[in-house]
Amino acid sequence: MEGDIKTIGAAIAIGLGAIGPGLGIGLLAGKAMEALGRNPEAAGEIRQNMVLALVFAEAISIYALVIAALLIFVA
Amino acid sequence: MSRPVIIVVLIGIIVSILGGAIGNAFGLGFLGSPIAHIQLPAEPVFPEPFLETGSGLIGDITITNTMVASWITIVILAVVTFTVNRKIREVPGRIQGLAEVTFEFFLGLAKNIAGNNARRFFPLAMTIFLFIIVNNWIGILPGFGTIGWVESPEKVVHHAEVKAEKDHGHVNLETVHLQVFEGTGPIVLLPPGSINNHMTVSEGYVLEDDGHLRELDTENRHGFNEGQTPGLLIPYLRSANSDLNTPLALALVAMVTIHWWAFSTLGVFGHLGKFINFKQGPIMFVVGILEIIGELARIVSFTFRLFGNIFAGEMLLIVMAFLLPVIGIIPFLGMEVFVGFMQATVFAVLTLLFGSMAVASHDEH
Repeated sequence: MEGDIKTIGAAIAIGLGAIGPGLGIGLLAGKAMEALGRNPEAAGEIRQNMVLALVFAEAISIYALVIAALLIFVA
Repeated sequence: MSRPVIIVVLIGIIVSILGGAIGNAFGLGFLGSPIAHIQLPAEPVFPEPFLETGSGLIGDITITNTMVASWITIVILAVVTFTVNRKIREVPGRIQGLAEVTFEFFLGLAKNIAGNNARRFFPLAMTIFLFIIVNNWIGILPGFGTIGWVESPEKVVHHAEVKAEKDHGHVNLETVHLQVFEGTGPIVLLPPGSINNHMTVSEGYVLEDDGHLRELDTENRHGFNEGQTPGLLIPYLRSANSDLNTPLALALVAMVTIHWWAFSTLGVFGHLGKFINFKQGPIMFVVGILEIIGELARIVSFTFRLFGNIFAGEMLLIVMAFLLPVIGIIPFLGMEVFVGFMQATVFAVLTLLFGSMAVASHDEH
């Protein structure tokens, strides 16, 4: 019983915390595909900038993962 | 891929599923080993602390496994740099070619982002980039996290007791898990097929009233047998950025240097005037205060982005190696290589970006 509320907390943290970045990355990739379709010559530029923005969007879900890991392993 | 290769790969996948944790549920785990003990803080390399300070504030100084890994990175970078610098030729050899490619890629990126200040910002950003990328990439080599020393059950229970006392509880010996190694003596190991070699402390030990742990005799214990050693594997080496201290140190160095650059370019009042400005009305004053909070948030975000990616990657590799023993981690190792490179790039690029934003004088907004 003592550990249960922390486990639920960890599950909620990562579960809700992955919704936003998931949507964000999906939109990002969609717009990148669109831009690629309109301008195939700029593929290298588009890809570089897309990966850069991807890393930032991913970082938000990593924050949620860190909180979940903190709840399970440390507290 | 040709037909025989596909068949071999499929057989490999099926064998590894049956040999791992999933197959273990059907009694078949012949390839796996018990899941490694994952914990957030870095573990010490020696059982006793390196230096015992008496003070309760600083605590004992220990040499941790992530510290040793970052020393290895420093040695690698120093050796490569000295080798390249000893004889620089017009037509570069292979190591010099690699160094030149890295430098050109990064200098191009720096000129793109920082413009005129690229040469000034380049040393710090390049050092951060090289340090992070070598740290991340050697952290996925075999041997990191799998070779270590075995902590005795008494120490494990002691750590669990200390942790339980912080929550004002008592340690429950049925929740403290140990791994059971084959063999006794100086070298013990977890061979393939040892996936059930784990036990809880209560299955082999009893906690006496005076606090020390007594081993149950052979009839009463069912955790381990003769010829086996229970304990917990503490690795000698662990990826340096999977400990919160290294990313925090890098983030602090980067932010302090960015503010140093801003002070040296804009002067004390020019730079402080960005944060506490009375000249442009009350709204800009509040914006300035929010920018102070933004600076602190940048340190936190630098740290947690790097730490979270590398720590989560490490946990992912451990869990995948547990589920699909030999081949399950191959695609994830590829992902870790890419993630390590991207995180190093992002850290260095953000340093350059914030540096060039900080030295831009406010009138150009």
